[in-house]
Amino acid sequence: MQWIKATRQFLRAWRHPDETAREVETELRFHVEMRARANIEEGMTPDEARLAAQQSFGDFDQIKISCCEIKRGFPFDLKALRMGVFIAVACLAGGFAVVAVNLPHDNLFGVLWQLAAIAVLMCTFLVGRRNIRRRHD
Amino acid sequence: MGSKSKAGLLQGTLDMLILKALSLGALHGYGIGQRIAQISGEELRVEEGSLYPGLYRLEQRGWIDSEWDVSDNNQRAKFYKLTRAGRKQLILEEQNWERLAGATMKALRAS
Repeated sequence: MQWIKATRQFLRAWRHPDETAREVETELRFHVEMRARANIEEGMTPDEARLAAQQSFGDFDQIKISCCEIKRGFPFDLKALRMGVFIAVACLAGGFAVVAVNLPHDNLFGVLWQLAAIAVLMCTFLVGRRNIRRRHD
Repeated sequence: MGSKSKAGLLQGTLDMLILKALSLGALHGYGIGQRIAQISGEELRVEEGSLYPGLYRLEQRGWIDSEWDVSDNNQRAKFYKLTRAGRKQLILEEQNWERLAGATMKALRAS
């Protein structure tokens, strides 16, 4: 159930941004510290080792910001989600049309229902066609 | 290792290398960089900073999973491991890579 975990992490990153940033920072600091230790083992002084570790890591703050932004990013493929929503809407529109067609249409209410069904089906068709065209462009 | 020239990583290969490194066992971020260097015979060096956004993206896609634990030197560290989806993805990436490398070699050998 990886998607449950991804959703939970996504929500947590939005609800507790400071906690997320702290967590990212702890992880990145651990890396820099490990690099500094390795540098000391290779013969550098502690100051040199720390400086070299920071330099080899790159822009710490920028990397931290990038990581936090990724954590706050939507964890699912939006195209797939959009397609799913569209299919669901199309199914609902189809069901609505079937119900509307089967309603008695010998009164104003029935005629209005049928017109509404035609409008919904037309909208679904047009939106679907626009999406398909956009994908081909 | 310092004097050896290091091959730059092609775009898109970082994900595959991270997945490969983790297919050999759970590791923290620093360990992943070390393992990539080790399994490539010290020829490939991941830019340390770029490793983490890559790890976060892979985790978001569900290809790797993470949990906090204690490292060998008794420090709190985040360990990553490959998920089942990640293992499948690694196989796919390896196949793509082999096909691409084969095609490139064929093109280079053409006379």
